Amino acid sequence: MTQHLTESDVALIAEYTRIGMTPDEVARMTVDLNAIIDSLSPITEYDLDGVEPTFHPIGTLSNVMREDVVGESFSQQTALENAPKQQDGQFLIPAILSDGGDR
Amino acid sequence: MQTLENVLRKWEPVIGLEIHTELTTLETKMFCGCKLEFGAEPNTNTCPVCLGLPGALPVPNKAAIESIVLAGLATNCEIEKDTMFYRKNYMYPDMAKNFQTTQGPLAFCMRGHLDLEIDGKGADERYGIDDVKVGESFENITRCEGGYVAHVGITRIHMEEDAGKMVHIGGSEGRIAGATHSLVDYNRAGTPLMELVTEPDLRTPEEARRFMQKLRQIYLTLGISNCSMEEGSMRCDGNISLRRRGTHELGTKTELKNLNSFKSLHDGLMYEILRQADVLDEGGVIYQETRHWDPSAKRTIVMRVKETADDYRLFPEPDLAPYHLSDEFIERVRAKLPELPDEMAARIKDAYGLSAYDASHLVEHRATASLFDAAASLIPDDASASQRALVAKQLANFIINDVTAWLNAEPDVDLASSPLTPERLFELSMLLVDETISSKQAKEVFTAIIDEDKDPREIVAERGMEQVSDAGAIEAVIDSILAENPDKVDQYRGGKTGLIGFFVGQCMKAMQGQGNPKLINEMLEKKLSE
Repeated sequence: MTQHLTESDVALIAEYTRIGMTPDEVARMTVDLNAIIDSLSPITEYDLDGVEPTFHPIGTLSNVMREDVVGESFSQQTALENAPKQQDGQFLIPAILSDGGDR
Repeated sequence: MQTLENVLRKWEPVIGLEIHTELTTLETKMFCGCKLEFGAEPNTNTCPVCLGLPGALPVPNKAAIESIVLAGLATNCEIEKDTMFYRKNYMYPDMAKNFQTTQGPLAFCMRGHLDLEIDGKGADERYGIDDVKVGESFENITRCEGGYVAHVGITRIHMEEDAGKMVHIGGSEGRIAGATHSLVDYNRAGTPLMELVTEPDLRTPEEARRFMQKLRQIYLTLGISNCSMEEGSMRCDGNISLRRRGTHELGTKTELKNLNSFKSLHDGLMYEILRQADVLDEGGVIYQETRHWDPSAKRTIVMRVKETADDYRLFPEPDLAPYHLSDEFIERVRAKLPELPDEMAARIKDAYGLSAYDASHLVEHRATASLFDAAASLIPDDASASQRALVAKQLANFIINDVTAWLNAEPDVDLASSPLTPERLFELSMLLVDETISSKQAKEVFTAIIDEDKDPREIVAERGMEQVSDAGAIEAVIDSILAENPDKVDQYRGGKTGLIGFFVGQCMKAMQGQGNPKLINEMLEKKLSE
């Protein structure tokens, strides 16, 4: 198996995506992710020179738009239904900064 | 701190702006049918799409795409036909999806520009301007009477969506630092948002302010946003760096936030120029950082230092189909372009012989521009060019001075439904032009129109202002009466002085009994004895 990603790459991705992982989990995830990337290797056997990259799995669709007409929205109660905490009709979330900096 | 003059001798400021504008005049959000509504109850305009619930699929708002194409056409941009949306990934609670849908390397609008007229005191901020003759060009400017015109490039205008609103609780003054928790309202999340990025072509705070003003005028004319800097529907960030005069490499820039008024935009940039110059002159270095303008303390403070470039892992949004805009779509939008402020200024300048200064100030605000247009259209078609110019100049004076002062004092007034109709303003101008009333009386009548909701002639009659004591007006009447009666003039001069009564009567008749008889008498006697 080729080492596509190091453990520190994986730890960085975890940090970006705000997924808390123990060093042990990072080690296992690194093995798994490298295996997943390996499974894509057959594609490198093809000659892809001059082939346009496919950005969209959507196929030939383009210019999909809707008219500017008001549709149905959630009630405030429904919007907040899954929120662990709420206050004054708003989502109550924990402190964003722990280091006292400012974003 | 050093003076600007000193700083500019050594350093050249390089300024670029990023201007975000919400498309507030639309009915719905960018990618879902939730209503756009400022000040609604929190979280009452949300749905699976703007709350980022799993499996929800976005569909772009056609009117938003039309609006940004319109904005691009109005700012001399090329419309990029083949573009797509991207995901800009970031983890922050103001966007429930954990990414902002925006555009990638290509935006709907690319490579535009605006020309800025800088005059008066603002022109003094530009270094080296005094050495250039009127009509000559240097750098990106052309010198003109009283100032200069700056050609400022627009890199792009792209389409994206606004984030939700957060309130931070437990810290001082609602600041995030020291807060114990925060409240999130997603009503604003998904609001259609245009971001315009300028080239680093601006050299003075005044140019930056003028760019923002001009862009705001254009957007308001297009009717695509209410452009409220107070409510945050139009927001501006400034990027600024200094380089040693004569060199071309860009210095390290800081990004300035909280420039939420024209004054803040100007003063914040001015402070930052002087601050950076002080640091550099003392041998220090400028850090690439985001700074916050504090208008009450009149200084900028560090918000965050950017140690690394943000990694947003931008990639094409797989849930949105790409765009191949047709010529037909673009031409349909182009057909909706209204007369833009610059075009209107050029038109009224030519049509009424106004100065460039008057014309550009008249079109500064849509309401006053419309008032001028409507009032000036009442000038009779058979009026001579000089008469037209005289009346138009009078209208311009009223609007630039009195109307502007009134609207500044009472910002809530809706000019279009106010007592000051185009007809009344035209009538008032005519009263002044034909010298029925003096300019001092005109000010009184102007105020009375607004306070009493009456026509100028009615006010003038009620107050007996037509008792004309304006020598110029009387003289004009006397001249025409004398010209009409050459035989009687000869008789008078031949000794029949009793005819004075006849002349006074004719003058009074011509002035509909409102002339000042004593003055008429005196002036007649003087004229007839000449």
